[in-house]
Amino acid sequence: MTADNKAILSWLALILLTFTSVYLDLMIKHYEFFICSVLLIVFFKGQQIIDIFMELKEAPKKWRLLMLSYVILLPLIISLIYIF
Amino acid sequence: MNSPELANSSILTMNSEQAMSSTARKLPGDLAMWFFILAELTVFAIFFIGFAVAEQLNSEMFAAGKAQLHPIAGLINTIALITSSLFVALSLNALYKGNTKQTVKLLIIAQLVACIYLVVKIGEYQFLFAAGIDIETNSFFTLYFLITAFHFMHVLLGMVILIFMTVKASKDGYNNNLAGFESGASYWHMVDMLWIILFPLIYVI
Repeated sequence: MTADNKAILSWLALILLTFTSVYLDLMIKHYEFFICSVLLIVFFKGQQIIDIFMELKEAPKKWRLLMLSYVILLPLIISLIYIF
Repeated sequence: MNSPELANSSILTMNSEQAMSSTARKLPGDLAMWFFILAELTVFAIFFIGFAVAEQLNSEMFAAGKAQLHPIAGLINTIALITSSLFVALSLNALYKGNTKQTVKLLIIAQLVACIYLVVKIGEYQFLFAAGIDIETNSFFTLYFLITAFHFMHVLLGMVILIFMTVKASKDGYNNNLAGFESGASYWHMVDMLWIILFPLIYVI
C-alpha cells in the first residue's frame, strides 16, 4: 500500500470514529460504558495520527511508545475521574 | 587473503551497513521540535485533567454550560482539522517524491481547510458573547474559553508554520534537508491530536 493510500485510509477511519463518538450517546445508555467508549475512540484516533500522520510507526520505538502512552494514559485518567 | 578478496569483503561489509542504515528507524524532523511537542502535550494534559476534575465537582453547572455549546460546530472543527492533517501528510509524501508543485498545492489546501476551523471557532465565540456569556460567567466557561482559546492560538501558530513551509517549498528550499518540513508537519498533527481529545471532553461527554 502506498503512503498516500495509508494516509487516506487513516483519514477515513478518523472521520468514521469521529461520527461514532458524537452519536454514541444515542446508542449507549449506560453512563460509564459511554465514557469508556468515547475515550477508547480517542485512543484509536490518536494512534492513527501518531502512527500514520506523524509517521512514528517508522520511528525509534521509544518515541512511538512515548507518544502512544499519551493517548493511552490521558483518556484512562479522564475516564477514571468520570467513573469514580 | 589476497587484495581483491579483501576489497570484495570491504565492499560487502559497506553494502550491508548501508542497507542496515537505510532501514534504521528515524525520528521525523528535529529533536528540538519533539521536545516542544512533548511540553505542549503536557500542558494540555494538565488542562484536560483539570477540566474533568472540575466537571466532577460541579456537574450540574458543567451540564448546563455544555448545553449552551454546539456539538455540530465541534464536529465541523474536528473534520476540518483531521482533513487538514491529511493534506499536510500528503504534501510531505509529495515532497519525499520530489514533487514540489504538488507539495505546495497540498499545503495550500491544508491551510484553506484549516480556515474552516478558524471561522467556526470565532463564530462560536461570537455566539456565546452575544448571549452574554464570557470567560467570567462561571467555572465551566472559564475553562472552556481558556482551553479552546489556548488551542486556537496553537492552530494560529501552526498556520504560520505551514505558510512558512509553503513559501520555502515553493523556492525548493527543502531539496537538501527535509527536517524542517517534517518538524512543521509534526507540530500540525500535534494540534490535530489535541483537538481530538478536547472535542469529546468538552462537547460530547
